[in-house]
Amino acid sequence: MRALVAALVAAFLMLVPSALCAQSAAEILLENRALVEKPSRQTIGPVIAALAASGDARAADILAGWANKGLGLRKSDGAFFLIAATADGYALTALDGSDAGTAAKAEITELRPNSGVRGLISLALVQFRLTDPDPARRAEALATIARDPAPELLAPLRASLDDEADPALAAQKDRLNRLLTLRFDPDSAARVAAIDSFSGDLGLDLRAALNPLLATVRKAAPLITPIDGNIARDLTPGDDLTEVEAYDLLVAANLAPARLSRADLKAALVANIVDGRVAGTPVADLNTQAARNAAYTALEAAGIVPLAATDEEVTQASASHRFVEVYTEPDPKVTTAAARALKAIETKLALMQAADLGLDALSLASIYFLAAIGLAITFGVMRVINMAHGEFIMLGAYTGYVVQLFIPNYTLSLIVAPPLAFAVTFAAGVAMERLVIRHLYKRPLETLLATFGISIALQQLAKTVFGTQARPLTAPAWLDGALSVNDVVQVSYIRIAIFVLALIFLAVFLFIMKRTRLGLEVRAVQQNPSMAASMGINPDRINMLTFGLGSGIAGIAGIAIGLFAKVTSELGSDYIVQSFMTVVVGGVGNIWGTLAGAAMIGGLQKGIEFLNPSNTLAAQTYMILFIILFIQFRPRGIIALKGRAAGD
Amino acid sequence: MTALLEVSGISVTFDGFRAINNLSFSIGPAELRAIIGPNGAGKTTFMDIVTGKTRPDAGNVLWGERSVSLLKLSEAQIARIGVGRKFQRPTVFEDQSVTDNLIMALRAPRSPWAVLGWRARPVDMARVADLAAEVGLADALPRKAGELSHGQKQWLEIGMLLAQEPQLLLVDEPAAGMTLAEREHTTRLLVDLAKTRAVVVVEHDMEFVRRLNCKVTVLHEGAVLAEGSLDHVTRDQRVIDVYLGRSER
Amino acid sequence: MSRSFFLRNPSVLVFLLVLALFTLGVTLMSEAYGTALISTSFVKTLGKTLCLCLAALAMDLIWGYAGILSLGHMAFFALGGYMIGMWLMYARTEEIVVAALANEPLPATAQEIQNGIAGQIFGVVGASELPPVWLFAHSLPLQLMLVVVVPGVLALVFGWLAFRSRVTGVYLSILTQAMTLALALYLFQNDSGLRGNNGLSGLQNIPGLDGVSQAAVSVWFLWASAVALGLAYLTLAWVVSGKFGSVIRAIRDDEARVRFLGYLVEGYKLFVFTLTAIIAAIAGALYYPQAGIINPAELAPIASIYLAVWVAIGGRRRFRWGFTPSTGWIGGWFCWACRLWRSRCLRPRALAGCSIWCRACAGPTARGHRLAPMMAR
Repeated sequence: MRALVAALVAAFLMLVPSALCAQSAAEILLENRALVEKPSRQTIGPVIAALAASGDARAADILAGWANKGLGLRKSDGAFFLIAATADGYALTALDGSDAGTAAKAEITELRPNSGVRGLISLALVQFRLTDPDPARRAEALATIARDPAPELLAPLRASLDDEADPALAAQKDRLNRLLTLRFDPDSAARVAAIDSFSGDLGLDLRAALNPLLATVRKAAPLITPIDGNIARDLTPGDDLTEVEAYDLLVAANLAPARLSRADLKAALVANIVDGRVAGTPVADLNTQAARNAAYTALEAAGIVPLAATDEEVTQASASHRFVEVYTEPDPKVTTAAARALKAIETKLALMQAADLGLDALSLASIYFLAAIGLAITFGVMRVINMAHGEFIMLGAYTGYVVQLFIPNYTLSLIVAPPLAFAVTFAAGVAMERLVIRHLYKRPLETLLATFGISIALQQLAKTVFGTQARPLTAPAWLDGALSVNDVVQVSYIRIAIFVLALIFLAVFLFIMKRTRLGLEVRAVQQNPSMAASMGINPDRINMLTFGLGSGIAGIAGIAIGLFAKVTSELGSDYIVQSFMTVVVGGVGNIWGTLAGAAMIGGLQKGIEFLNPSNTLAAQTYMILFIILFIQFRPRGIIALKGRAAGD
Repeated sequence: MTALLEVSGISVTFDGFRAINNLSFSIGPAELRAIIGPNGAGKTTFMDIVTGKTRPDAGNVLWGERSVSLLKLSEAQIARIGVGRKFQRPTVFEDQSVTDNLIMALRAPRSPWAVLGWRARPVDMARVADLAAEVGLADALPRKAGELSHGQKQWLEIGMLLAQEPQLLLVDEPAAGMTLAEREHTTRLLVDLAKTRAVVVVEHDMEFVRRLNCKVTVLHEGAVLAEGSLDHVTRDQRVIDVYLGRSER
Repeated sequence: MSRSFFLRNPSVLVFLLVLALFTLGVTLMSEAYGTALISTSFVKTLGKTLCLCLAALAMDLIWGYAGILSLGHMAFFALGGYMIGMWLMYARTEEIVVAALANEPLPATAQEIQNGIAGQIFGVVGASELPPVWLFAHSLPLQLMLVVVVPGVLALVFGWLAFRSRVTGVYLSILTQAMTLALALYLFQNDSGLRGNNGLSGLQNIPGLDGVSQAAVSVWFLWASAVALGLAYLTLAWVVSGKFGSVIRAIRDDEARVRFLGYLVEGYKLFVFTLTAIIAAIAGALYYPQAGIINPAELAPIASIYLAVWVAIGGRRRFRWGFTPSTGWIGGWFCWACRLWRSRCLRPRALAGCSIWCRACAGPTARGHRLAPMMAR
């Protein structure tokens, strides 16, 4: 459609000047009043083109007004005015710019062109805007061109190049000029030069401009007839395209008779049932394809039905024809240059994509690390399976949501929420340890079931309190957006923040475990509770604090996760299996193992998603399978405790 | 005399700590041997290696006349070719009756299918009764193993070892927690057993070792320090320094 | 099976008698063969309960006796259901398609019937060809064989991998849960070949039994479930009463010691894991024709955890004394209660959560060998 309009506009840009050039905008409008009053996309093209080409200084304003319901028709005499709504009617401005007083609402018909017409108008306006004194308007015009490039925009764009004062806009115009040149310039040398001028560029706009140049269509022709056009490559039936596709091409090009579909065959047979027989065969026997084929052949032989291509004929037909892919772009020099440029881009792009994938994997790994670090404490240090860990993450996220209800300032609430989430989940963790887990030490399987029960109950509680729909946890504005290296490599600020948060957690964890009294006591209780108890450490208290600490960290992780995922009661269960896998794969009882596990699982998941992007469910399936296999080779995880200490 | 078990040059390291350091050891088909050594000398690790629980970093463990390497076999396979082990702490299946414990240990096919179809024949029950009598548990057959006293559990475990009919018995501190009378019984039993098979006893208690009256191997820091009669090794100055010197101070 | 076996385990006879009386009682009160005191849907619920008992029995063997807390047995249960469901759906659709094509002027070719079936079954996921996994769906004997073979082979391969690397305890539980999750996620895909999250439906219509009312079919399935439960109970009671039972209990209590006795622990675990997987699959194959529909949600990890919970509530390792059926009854009741309440709210889930940890806290102290006080009575 766009192409059609562009062609129309272009045609009239060339035709119109001789006929209408001398006219003023007002005259043009008056002359075409009927059209202007009820414009349609199909018919209004010449009028807009005439206005644009009239050379009238007011043409741009008139067009802009027209597009924005700012053009009116006085009912009494049919004169056009630029109108502006006032309290009791319109303020009128004559088309030559002079003030024309006011008019009541009823006296004026406001022109309301439909969106198609408005599109045409704004296209025409672009050339005015390109030279608009306001840089913002010029930038807007460039954005319009970049969005809908069209051949006729090339000339005005070039014309505006030299007068551009703003260096940034000048660079943009230059780039746009080259992009348009490589697509629409009539001179192939200029186009090749434009393509070559982009060497090393990775822009999406460049790829969008180059790709249409290399669009191809498939064609078929008898072997002897030369195929004209810019041939991309030859196709061999069977390799590059299936036999069926090849034959369909021949049929489409009227080079072969249509193949008889099974449905058609059946219809032909049905139409020729005579006394319960088709060509002598009883209908009841026609219950195999072979019998039906035979019956049809018999009908063919009798001349009752048209000849249809048999399988042999199909093979022969495709053997006696040449199949090619032809560029829609006729100029081979341009296509060669474009192919070369795209190839160079692709190589560079692959590297960039790898880097982007790496960054993606890194941020996913940080998320898993955040989700798993609390588990690494409770599971790794205390050997307590806490299936409700995910629900503590959820609890943290909901705490963040509640805080935002009371503190509307997102930055402030983001400062208040983490300590509060820590407090809430710490309390929940301690309560759970006191009420349930304390009674179940040394019975891991029962712990697993009991904590799972709690996780279900907590999920239900969250559903009852917050409802089933997702609750927002909004990041402050300064965390929106992304750090973008180029069109390919981008990292959102939230993910960077999560990465930093993961590093902080790692540091805090190491500090607590290695440098504080609490860490020392935790390690002592972990290794030998009775010995620790005899040295004056209260293992009960330490277990409680350790569990609380692990849960509290889960709460803070919940806020981080809630910032980019929606907060629902199922938030935690989405992460629990991955978290356990992270801890188990990494190696229990070692924070570096958890880090390695998170890196591996994050990297793996992104890698699989990259190889099979359409199917994230399958990606998860494959990842779990991989982990099951991985455990075969390293049953104790990546970083395993060795020797007697590992226990049996 | 060909050796029944030939351990040559094994080493094993746990996190940089050399638990066993180039250890060589051999024992004949019908021999009683005591292994002594201070804590951390590598006695238990040595047993772990022979029974397949721990894999050494270097060295070789050969078994029997055909010199089968034990390093390639799993724990269960090693047990099946005739190595029996008694643990330091009595490990019996406390939830099951003495009879069940003994039946499980009886020499019989061990595959799941064979066990599934296995039913006790009179001859098996007679063998169980004999074994129970031998270890003084004849009256306790229907009782749960968990109800037995510590000493009785030790006996039950020895009974299970006998039921396995091993060619080599590895016994870790058999006398620990036994009364004097029980110790004497144990000594007699071990000496008796050693007439038909090889028995290796790891022991701390010098009195007990003296009563066994056999060749003694002294381990220290994962290697053999001295070997010979108890009198011979107790006269060895190095042994006195590292072991006796400390324990009899 | 000698007389002495029953003499030594009189509870087995008691259980079989109770089961027979129960089934007979329900039959006499059913709509089809009795006083119509019990509605057909309730007969189905009771039949499903028996199937759940069967699954609980398998769970009891693997968890209570062998000490392996598998969180994957409901996956085998559902796989069994899928296998029988494929035949039920295929054969039923075939009947419909053949009936529809009978009106055509030409008799249908095999290919046309096949295409018709594929279109009917897979139109919902936008496919028109039968996936390769449906290769045997036309044949009841083959598909019945797959009920046993597919879960059996899966359990064999997974168990071999897991036990070989000596993954034990909670690690194994988490691994089995991961397996279940992977399977569920796989089946949720539309191109898994089993209709994605639509699952298989219309399974209550047994092909070739158009003339028989659902009331009668429900009683037949009740009997089939009861027979399967009785046979399985007999077999398992026999298995655990002998030396095999001794060995697997020994493995549960001290795996390393059993190895030094010369038993290949991995082999025994694999045997029990596969055997129970097959029992669970058979239970599933009987359950889903009564339920009428199966979809991947049925094998979400939560289902397996519920199974473990029923067994925990009923008391593990007790079927020698006839307690495990109570496990199943409770489970079945629970399932039924869930179904009744589901329309109103998800309260049962919270209840389940509470019951799990009540049970776990009040439960056996030392190693889970003693019954909870409340269950002892």
